[in-house]
Amino acid sequence: MMRRDVSQQTTEVTAEEWVRRKEFVGFTEQDAQWLRELRPAADAFVGDVVEELYRRFLACEETNAFFPDEAAVARVKALQTAYFRGLTQGEYGEAYLADRLKIGRVHQRIGLSPRWYMGAYALYAQLVTPRVLAAYPADSVKGQRTLVALLKLMNLDQELAVTTYLAAREAVISQQAREILEIATPVVQIWDGVVAAPLIGSLDTARTQQFMERLLERVVETNSSVALVDITGVPTIDTVTAQHLIETVTAVRLLGAQVVLTGVRPVIAQTLVHLGVDLSDIITRSSLAAGLHVALDILKLQVTGKRPA
Amino acid sequence: MSTDHIAVLKVREALLVTVPSDPEDATVAALQEQVLRAMERHAGKGLVLDLSGVETVDSYFARTITETAQMVGLMGGRTVLAGMRPSVAMTTVQLGLLFPNALTALDVDRALDLLATPEPDGRRP
Amino acid sequence: MNQAPGGDVVIHSERDIVGARKAVRLAATALGFGLTDVTRIVTAASELARNIVCYAGSGRLRWRGLDAGDRVGLELIFEDRGPGIADLAQAMQDGYTSGRGLGLGLPGTKRLMDEMEIQSTVGQGTIVTVRKWRKT
Repeated sequence: MMRRDVSQQTTEVTAEEWVRRKEFVGFTEQDAQWLRELRPAADAFVGDVVEELYRRFLACEETNAFFPDEAAVARVKALQTAYFRGLTQGEYGEAYLADRLKIGRVHQRIGLSPRWYMGAYALYAQLVTPRVLAAYPADSVKGQRTLVALLKLMNLDQELAVTTYLAAREAVISQQAREILEIATPVVQIWDGVVAAPLIGSLDTARTQQFMERLLERVVETNSSVALVDITGVPTIDTVTAQHLIETVTAVRLLGAQVVLTGVRPVIAQTLVHLGVDLSDIITRSSLAAGLHVALDILKLQVTGKRPA
Repeated sequence: MSTDHIAVLKVREALLVTVPSDPEDATVAALQEQVLRAMERHAGKGLVLDLSGVETVDSYFARTITETAQMVGLMGGRTVLAGMRPSVAMTTVQLGLLFPNALTALDVDRALDLLATPEPDGRRP
Repeated sequence: MNQAPGGDVVIHSERDIVGARKAVRLAATALGFGLTDVTRIVTAASELARNIVCYAGSGRLRWRGLDAGDRVGLELIFEDRGPGIADLAQAMQDGYTSGRGLGLGLPGTKRLMDEMEIQSTVGQGTIVTVRKWRKT
């Protein structure tokens, strides 16, 4: 997969993919040629089209919200004009692709969902159709073919905008997922020599690595002899998760610390027994509090009440 | 590269060996040899292997350590692996290696404490 | 981008196992792998180099950096002209436990790496290729 250097981020649509998309909708060199020929006429009616388009946007409450003031409207109209002129530039290769991809990202940034700009394309189609046909009074066949070429290109543009919008959303979701991962696996020192790690969710391979690394490092950092691993927040346990848990426990023990597995609820206990998982070597308790008792025991510590003053 | 020299020290009635960071097979074999000879001379409570400098544990290393622990056991002592690094622990577990005859401790100090206290609670990795 | 490291060593005696480990450690560190991953890669290399010494007598390790755009990797190729692996399926299946010392330790080694490919012909030799990746 080639990397485009034109944009700052990795795009989902490569140069090869762009060629394939054009082939799929049947956008040919001939179409490009017709669009090039349309330019003079298009330049003549673009002003009208953009004006009309924005009348509709401003009239509709939801889209109006994107244009807070006159300056914003003027700016966007200028961009829109440039966009429309781009449709008849005659060159639809990698530079064109890069330029259109930017639009999708901008839309994602400002929160403009695909619903609206697809609506806009529908308006475009209505507005340009009579004008394009009117540009070829003597040759209606050419007029139609030019119109179809324009519609194909606009369709390709929509595809690109949607693709980039989705990709940008995906990136946000991935980032959030990573952050959730971070939040979900804290390892906290709850007493001198005791760390506690509440596990939330399931343990896939990637999460296990992350969890293990963090847990082991904290054990060493805090010089802890006991690690309480609490699985109250683990909804179900399958063979894979059980396996990973055991690996984690084994690794902590290799360091020289003891593990107490806490939060083992009846349903989990049942599953583990049914899976034939051998936990006979591991100290388990049904609650974190009970685990703390065990930890204090191991450290040969005792909690006594304060004498009244 | 010559074999690293293995020093076996006697500390608080136990033997202490500091394992070099990336020992070759011959060094590991020599370690076992030295430990057994030292066990012969001063029976003591057992062996502490300081692994804090060790960067790689492969199957040969694990096997030899386990054998050594077994032998120490047969001679009446216990073996404690001290200060294993997190990255090594994780790799060892992933590789499926076990050390069934050895105890573990966070550092040499605690390892020696462990050996000084009499048996029972059967803490094993 | 750093220059992708590459190289090779001959594996002939147990001394060369350490040589392989050191070379692989340098390569993996140069490619920016974190400590835990470096440890995994070095350990896997140790196991595979050891297999060559124990079963084939001699062979070669070649390594090179890989660049796939959004990720970077290290490829290790262990090649020998030894007896070959008769039953590959079984070799990949058996669990490996220390203390028994049997088997090639392949399933464990596979777990340490991201990709593993084995080509082996009885009587001719074996090529084991392993790769580990990291996202850039």
